[in-house]
Amino acid sequence: MNRKILNIVVNGESHQVLIEPHWTLLQVLRNEIGMMGTKENCLEAECGVCTVLLDGKAINSCILLAGQVEGCSITTIEGIGDPEHLHPLQEAFIECGAVQCGYCIPGMILTAKSFLDENPGCRPSRDEIREAIAGTLCRCTGYRKIIDAVATAADRIALSGAKQ
Amino acid sequence: MSAHTHRVAGHRLPRRDGVGKVTGKHVYAADFKLPGMLYGRVLRSTRAHALIKKIDASRAAAIAGVRGIITSADIPQIRYGTAVRDTTVFATDRALFIGHAIAAVAATSLEIAERALAAIEVEYEDLPPLFDPEEALKSDIRIHPDWETYKALPIISRNRNIAGQARIRVGDAEAAFAKAHKVYEHRFSTALQHPGYTEPRVATADWDANGIVTVWCNTQLPFDTQTTLAEILDLPAARVRVTVPGIGGGFGGKLRIGVEHFAALLARKTARPVKVMSTSEEELTAALPRQASIVLLKTAVDKEGHLLARSGRIIVDCGAYAGSGPGTAAIALQVMAGPYKPGALAFESVAVYTNKVHSGSFRAPAGPMANFAMECQIDMIAKDLGLDPLEMRLRNVVKEGDPGPSGEIHRSVSIEECLRKAADAIGWHDRNPEPGRGKGIACSWWMTTGGSSGVYVKINPDGSATLVSGAVEIGTGAITGAAQILAEELSLDLTDVNVTGVDTQAAPFDYGAQGSRTTFSVGNACLAAAAELRRQMFELAAEQLEAPIEDMKLQDKHVVAGNKSISIAELARISRLAGGGLIAHGTAISPAPAYDPTRVQNHPLPVWNTPSYHAHAVDLSVDQATGKVTINRYVVAQDVGYAINPTYIEGQIEGGVAQGIGQALSEEIVYQDGRVMNANLTDYKMPTAMDVPEIESIIVECRSAAGPYGAKGVGEPPCIEPPAAIGNAIAAATGCWPNSLPMTAEKIAAAMQVQHS
Repeated sequence: MNRKILNIVVNGESHQVLIEPHWTLLQVLRNEIGMMGTKENCLEAECGVCTVLLDGKAINSCILLAGQVEGCSITTIEGIGDPEHLHPLQEAFIECGAVQCGYCIPGMILTAKSFLDENPGCRPSRDEIREAIAGTLCRCTGYRKIIDAVATAADRIALSGAKQ
Repeated sequence: MSAHTHRVAGHRLPRRDGVGKVTGKHVYAADFKLPGMLYGRVLRSTRAHALIKKIDASRAAAIAGVRGIITSADIPQIRYGTAVRDTTVFATDRALFIGHAIAAVAATSLEIAERALAAIEVEYEDLPPLFDPEEALKSDIRIHPDWETYKALPIISRNRNIAGQARIRVGDAEAAFAKAHKVYEHRFSTALQHPGYTEPRVATADWDANGIVTVWCNTQLPFDTQTTLAEILDLPAARVRVTVPGIGGGFGGKLRIGVEHFAALLARKTARPVKVMSTSEEELTAALPRQASIVLLKTAVDKEGHLLARSGRIIVDCGAYAGSGPGTAAIALQVMAGPYKPGALAFESVAVYTNKVHSGSFRAPAGPMANFAMECQIDMIAKDLGLDPLEMRLRNVVKEGDPGPSGEIHRSVSIEECLRKAADAIGWHDRNPEPGRGKGIACSWWMTTGGSSGVYVKINPDGSATLVSGAVEIGTGAITGAAQILAEELSLDLTDVNVTGVDTQAAPFDYGAQGSRTTFSVGNACLAAAAELRRQMFELAAEQLEAPIEDMKLQDKHVVAGNKSISIAELARISRLAGGGLIAHGTAISPAPAYDPTRVQNHPLPVWNTPSYHAHAVDLSVDQATGKVTINRYVVAQDVGYAINPTYIEGQIEGGVAQGIGQALSEEIVYQDGRVMNANLTDYKMPTAMDVPEIESIIVECRSAAGPYGAKGVGEPPCIEPPAAIGNAIAAATGCWPNSLPMTAEKIAAAMQVQHS
């Protein structure tokens, strides 16, 4: 075995993990750290269900080698809210009926979060939201209610930002 | 009780599993793991049709970390299958398609399992393959040389490469053709389509000390999977426990055994828990996609466009095993009849074997294929007769009390309302607002599949209820809908109803999350359970309140009799001390309606339960140079009987149409010489957020007699009409009908070029 130590911060907590060189970030998150909210499907960066935030930016964790993220900060779906303290995006996804089977939803929410964070205070158009989430496939919803949810959350985040 | 007086049913309440799903807490089958678990992988055939001369796994077995290898030689020699028992776990003496399972390996890591697969040597001797279903009908080559020895449902009629053949005959079609004003004949074809769920098929199996195997998996049909696994493992069903932690989509692709048998067999061989998960490549080469089909239709009309007689044949390409093919092909006959007065009919379905992946029951099996042919032909005829396509449909649609194709009577009919509402919403009066832009319409009907449901409901000492059902929540919100019905009947809030996970050992039987039936059937079972719980609570309350039962009602979580009342929670506590708790078993079954059996031959689903009616209208533009289609607007008017939760009904419509748009315009598992050319999610083109318009839903409520509060099945219909509606709109925009799915830009551009030259 050719294992080496990886230091990463996941959802604000420091982790030291022994990894093999070929392991992906997805494998480390799911198998070593237990962040099962990060989903697994195509393993070829085609579907988007494995999306996490790497230093705030949405990336496909299934094709990123874990060794490449030494010292980086990762946010998974578990890191943006919990059942008692939902993130505005999580709240809006439930409220707008944007969740069906839910398997793409962690990736979808993190993709949307990355997009909204990159454009602070903005109220994106529906077409801008479409483009932002186009890399994540959802087979259940036809996307309309997901777009509703992102627009709703964007409004609320912009409003609370304006108040502060 | 009317909808307006309902407190819980009929309202846009959030689903019970929503918080778990948005926070990553919801556990899916893919997330499930056990200590010491091994990883299983499947070796698949690289030949489309070949004798297997030798399998040598000795090199693979010697790899460190490999814990077990199984082939056909290591397992009970069982053939299984729904209509025809033609299927084996592994290829036996011959491989029947590229992707056919040959062997399976369990190892301490996926990487080792993959290395082991590469080390297994298989010696093949190629046989002549059959890829074209029409050729397979004529050929002397037999894909299953021993087909006559296979067991099948008695209703299924088979012959050589034909896995099933059904007919519907009404009146004398030939005589009607002879005296018709005009007769039209057309040919259509549709492509193989993957269900596209985002969680691959996955199973983890473990055997316990009592010889019971538990399989944690993402099946839509836990009880069917239990039965099939018991057959494959040669065990009594009681020694197979199937449980579904959570499921990331199914759409009919997870009805039948996927990888559960590999996991269970490898776990038996290694005496360790084993997890097997399909790869994307396996999903696109060896899953259970929607069959490709060929539809031939001949239709006779009078001068006014009334349908006098129709004959037709659908050829469904099953692939290497019958799978759902015979039933799917047969259902196409009712879809071809459509929501129209039947006239004379002579329809035939043929399900045929080829050396390709065997197929399944993707959402509304046969619906979009048969509807594409039938509804495009209606437009072609209307155009030739100089009729408005909407008007031609309105002249032919069924009315209340009209007979259907099987001689059943259409009840709570809403097809005219659906057509008019969809047409009005799309602005039908202006069908060609500008060059290259057109509007299309299509309509259909669809069954609410029957089958029985049982639920246990218990009342907890805090006054909440626990719903135990064997039905899987596949994402539709169906179980939330059933819980709304239960809460309504027990005067509870939706949040008072807790739903347990599905476990065949503990839950009562359910026919499964299929056929637009879950809310309908589980909802009916909840009505029955609630009635029984009311009886139990009223009896107990009669002692406590000293009031007569006939004066009692449930109100705001209390049993109320005049000015006396006692809370449900208190009754549950009393019952726990005195009577073992408040618990009820509710059951439901929808008997099939009466029909005329002389009309229907060799058909596994001869008559439809509680049909729904719907119409779709689309406004689109076609790029005159490239043929690229842009959908401007898409409207659905769907009769759901009673909308138990309008939000999730819209969700079904929006999602179903998106899948239908995919089938219409871009999705195809492309085969060349028996090999899939696009076995990845970049080249297999499912619609992204950029490809789907804002689908507009018009919910029509024409109450059924059989459904809870009058509900009808909702889930499958939305994917039926998109190919036809879009095809008709493309024709309105360009003047030409692409008659094969998917209607890619390339095909449309070619058709426009032919027209211009």
